[in-house]
Amino acid sequence: MGNIFKSFTATVLLSSSIIAANAMAEDVTITIWSLDSDVQPAQVFAKEFSELDNGIKVNYRRIQFDDVVSESMRAFATGKSPDIIAVDNPEHALFSSRGAFLDITDKVAASSAINADNYFKGPLNSVSWEGKLYGVPKATNTIALYYNKDLFKKAGIAKAPGTWDELLSAARTLNDPSNNVYGLAFSAKASEEGTFQFLPWAQMAGGSYKNINQPGVVKALDVWKTLLDEKLASPDTLTRGQWDSTGTFNAGNAAMVISGPWELNRMIDEAKFDWGVSLLPVPKKGAQRSSAMGDFNYAIFSNSKHPDAAFKALEYFAAQDHRLFPEFGQLPARSDITIPETGIALKDAALKVFLEQLKYAQARGPHPQWPKISKAIQDAIQTALTGGATPKAALDLAATKIAAVIK
Amino acid sequence: MRALLASLRDGRGFDISLISITMTFLLLFCGVPLIYNAIMSFQEVDIFNLNTFIRPWVGFDNYRALFADATTLPIFYNTLVFVFFSIAGQFLVGFALALFFSLKFSGSTYLRGLFLVSWVMPGLVVGAIWNWILSGDFGILNHVLKYIGVISDNIFWRSDIHFSLWAVIIANIWLGTAFNMILLSVGLAAIPNDIYEAAQLDGANAIQRFRTITLPMMRATIGAVVSLGLIFTLQQFDLFAAITSGGPANSSNVAQYRAWEMSFKEYDFARGATISVLMIGVVMIASIIYVRSTKQEIRG
Repeated sequence: MGNIFKSFTATVLLSSSIIAANAMAEDVTITIWSLDSDVQPAQVFAKEFSELDNGIKVNYRRIQFDDVVSESMRAFATGKSPDIIAVDNPEHALFSSRGAFLDITDKVAASSAINADNYFKGPLNSVSWEGKLYGVPKATNTIALYYNKDLFKKAGIAKAPGTWDELLSAARTLNDPSNNVYGLAFSAKASEEGTFQFLPWAQMAGGSYKNINQPGVVKALDVWKTLLDEKLASPDTLTRGQWDSTGTFNAGNAAMVISGPWELNRMIDEAKFDWGVSLLPVPKKGAQRSSAMGDFNYAIFSNSKHPDAAFKALEYFAAQDHRLFPEFGQLPARSDITIPETGIALKDAALKVFLEQLKYAQARGPHPQWPKISKAIQDAIQTALTGGATPKAALDLAATKIAAVIK
Repeated sequence: MRALLASLRDGRGFDISLISITMTFLLLFCGVPLIYNAIMSFQEVDIFNLNTFIRPWVGFDNYRALFADATTLPIFYNTLVFVFFSIAGQFLVGFALALFFSLKFSGSTYLRGLFLVSWVMPGLVVGAIWNWILSGDFGILNHVLKYIGVISDNIFWRSDIHFSLWAVIIANIWLGTAFNMILLSVGLAAIPNDIYEAAQLDGANAIQRFRTITLPMMRATIGAVVSLGLIFTLQQFDLFAAITSGGPANSSNVAQYRAWEMSFKEYDFARGATISVLMIGVVMIASIIYVRSTKQEIRG
């Protein structure tokens, strides 16, 4: 009897210790939200990371582009935020400035996988706020000038325009209304896309969102106005996004287009002519270069319960950056990664230019009130281009509005 | 006690309990949000304090800021133009079609039914299709107008500040005509035929019959159609999002789209609520007209 009791007690003790051991080895689960589908990097990397035998499991949720900010804000306010989120770079500062994102400066300094110096300045700037790091760039992109080499040859223009004047004169030569060909396509839409396309011009001329009404910027808007007034670009430039504008270039209805590397695959499929990419034209020879900077950043929410596990995931993602282009067609935001050739001559040539252009890419902001700043700039562009005010007056008004926001 | 039970089963109590269900529902899902919206317009609300009730109280600051903004008055003017011409267009075309189909030629009922297809389509889809039709460089509308010789140069419907609002109005008239036609058809069918016969015997011609019989008998229906039209038109959002996004340079922006931009593009929920409060005022007036016109409904 006593023996039976002993062995029973032993069994209970043993099994409870097994349960305890199991509980100790139980995985940590972190949540990642991003807009990537199951064939895009964030979701693919998250799955791989989850399958590593490191005691960290990942719960991935895909969110729509338009919902990123509102969904994550709501989640943060109710304490149900994910551990990691991928957020569009101009909106990063909105979160970091309000303490919603975790300051990872020290973690990065101690990390061997993430080295802040390896990132391009623009993307790195977008994850920084007051000298601290609040995230890691996920990928990056920028804009440059695509041009139709066949049309250039036919018009007798030897090379892609390098300055604004050359751009205008090339557009005038190439413009051919009788054949439905515009000189240039770009986007001046009243949305973030318009700001994205205009700011590089302002920055090349020595301006920025903080001094949007200085003479160089006025000159830039003048050039845009000339393009539209002389119908060198379609009037629909005002309401068309970059994707649709590039569509007209691919169809042969525009001789040049300003857009980004996300067009490369489509252009190779659609464009039935020889084309090339060139750096954005500058105000005059020798002027400083600039371009826009797009794409998303990763960040850890400050109320994450597993910040260390989440950071491990970011380290894993960063270690996969060399796969971004070959597998997903995206550009890593890093200067220490050489992108392998694809074997498609047009694409490889274009890529070289985009990588060169990336060196000059500047982040929008960073500023927590970016949407309002951006709206003021869009309003100025649209008012000037539709003749509601002179470029100078429109930009003066924008400067006043922006000053009120950033005071 | 028995009296109370009896009244609950069949009497005042029964009526009240039925009404109270509806009233509770209305108060909960219409009243509370309306009041909440009004309160928000007096606060400073951004995305970080959206979840809390205690927010900085700013009095009429949002209203002042709204009217200090140079874009506000043109946007309200656009709203007026949009509402007036959309309703006028929808009503006139709808009424004409309703009269046409009331002639009862063979197949008229089926054809009338087909018109409802446009009403069934989602606004965003309608917007996307009109986007192509109205496109400047390769839109079918420009092509047709050029072909029949009305215009010689392409009209950039979406991008020309003189046409952008009209582009949305045209699409909205197309979208709303079917609804107007169906409601007006019902009204026409309710007019007893013998009145027309009597008038005809008295020697009244078609125009006189229309003016002295059809129009007066349709008063209630017309009132209802117009005020419902006002509400639907003030609700119209999808077409703006799909066709012009309110642009260029706010030339086709209207109050309802601006309210959305404020709240969900610039994350200034208070300012968005302020515009909504002003719009609620207008809708209230329309509702009063609607209620009054349906009250006098003549039952044939």
